[in-house]
Amino acid sequence: MLRIGSAEGFYGDDVTRALPMIAGEHMDVVCFEALSELTLAILRRDQMRDPNRGYTRDIEIIAERILPLAYARKIPLITNGGGLNPTSAAEVARKAAERQGLHGLKIATVTGDDLLARLGDLMAAGERLANMETGAPLTLDGPPIVTANAYLGATPIVEALAQGADIVITGRVADPCLYLAPLVHRYGWAWDDWDRLASGIVCGHLLECTGQVVGGNSLALLDEIAPADLARLGYPIAEVEADGSFVVTKTPGTPGRVAQATVKEQLLYEMHDPRAYITPDVVASITTLRLEDDGPDRVRVSGVTGAPRTQTLKVNVARLEGYSRELIFTLGWPAVYRKEEQMCGMLAAAWEGLPITRVETQRMGQDSLFSSLAPAPDDPIELIVRVLFTAADQETLKMAVRRALALGLSGPAGMAVSGQSVGADSRPLLGLWPALVAREAVEPHVGVTVMEVA
Amino acid sequence: MAQTKPVRRLYELAYGRAGDKGNIANVSVIARSSDAYAEIKAKISAERVRTHLGPLVQGQVERFELDNIEALNFVLHDALDGGATRSLRLDGLGKSLGGAVLYMPVDEDES
Repeated sequence: MLRIGSAEGFYGDDVTRALPMIAGEHMDVVCFEALSELTLAILRRDQMRDPNRGYTRDIEIIAERILPLAYARKIPLITNGGGLNPTSAAEVARKAAERQGLHGLKIATVTGDDLLARLGDLMAAGERLANMETGAPLTLDGPPIVTANAYLGATPIVEALAQGADIVITGRVADPCLYLAPLVHRYGWAWDDWDRLASGIVCGHLLECTGQVVGGNSLALLDEIAPADLARLGYPIAEVEADGSFVVTKTPGTPGRVAQATVKEQLLYEMHDPRAYITPDVVASITTLRLEDDGPDRVRVSGVTGAPRTQTLKVNVARLEGYSRELIFTLGWPAVYRKEEQMCGMLAAAWEGLPITRVETQRMGQDSLFSSLAPAPDDPIELIVRVLFTAADQETLKMAVRRALALGLSGPAGMAVSGQSVGADSRPLLGLWPALVAREAVEPHVGVTVMEVA
Repeated sequence: MAQTKPVRRLYELAYGRAGDKGNIANVSVIARSSDAYAEIKAKISAERVRTHLGPLVQGQVERFELDNIEALNFVLHDALDGGATRSLRLDGLGKSLGGAVLYMPVDEDES
């Protein structure tokens, strides 16, 4: 049996939940999944300010607080938190390890997912990079492209583990593949053993969102988990057998719950066709698996099936399309709807001549989440209006806010403006372009380097 | 005046979770019992979900069945105002869309 712990599900997650897992020796390897579609673009902004950044700063916490304990117990750590700059992240880890005297520790870096500098060459070589949602081919003109990363599979991590890595730091490796890698390393599963690979992928999918399989974000357990326990859920662990079947459980003695309900909720999270969960290593199906209770906080998963991997890898290209700001106005009784009309009309007039590209208004508490699912009340005691506006540049948005606030004594009667919304920074708007690229255009460029701490 | 019967919403029969990928959201509808699954499978079509969600979903709705775990999965295309990285929605990740689907009346004449 191989026990895999999961201690990060997004950049900013509490990675120190790995500590009780490691201290109690409840697992053999810990994975940290740090990258969402938005994360890489945030990291690009960091990197533009400082070329040595571009990795998730959780790496610093992992290296300072978790690595010494894990190294002492020979528990490897695997993370894609290297983001856009795994090399600098590895350097951070090396320095931390050196400071703490972790002699002989091996740090592996996986690179080659970042296609930004290669886009022109790839397209010249015939890659259309057509948008998976619309079918349109990519063009390089238009708003600036800030990131372009292929989703890599488990192979380079397996290679790093084979070289004895104690910590593996990667860029955009697909989330569940982080968890598949130690299984392939341990059990030697063949790269065409589709059912076992699929089992490892489904296991990774269940673990990769940490709290979400132990009672976090759970409607099924709405009444069963104490509110304070949500702040200290014990993160999940899977016990995986050589045949691919596994038990999902959590760090013993910690709050939270693993039940068939939480496993079902997470199985379908971010799932499209459940017969074809496409990953770089295998196309997994979750329509054949069985769930069984295996004691308290233990659910056994078996019967996962898989089909051959695709000849392409997914690439996400992100463009900086512009910026948005928001202002939040709260209108008090009486006649809130008339006041809303006044406010919106006033803003439209104040913003005349500014190159604002879009304005949206939402009534928070009425239609901001659910649109028109329920009828609006006739004469509400309060109305919160969220006004959003976008432009190609941040200066326009600042000017728009200034002009709006200049009307402080001229606007609707009895209106409050949220101070936080007035002082906020503008938010970059990124258009994502999901596309496919041939494997052979990416895989030869993937590199694994291992360095040893002196 | 005729007594109005309380509307039976999907939440009575199921729970679920929403997720996002780009501009596509998905919502799982996981039955609370085998009987509930049979009823949901018979009554909650992709078309009904699309009509129920109205302007929240601009594209098509696909429905997938998972008999092994007694759940349906709805994939909502063009449902996040461009996706979390550019959406102007308060909930750009679409986390609340699970509740939006579960708010749906089970029986069509109660929509």
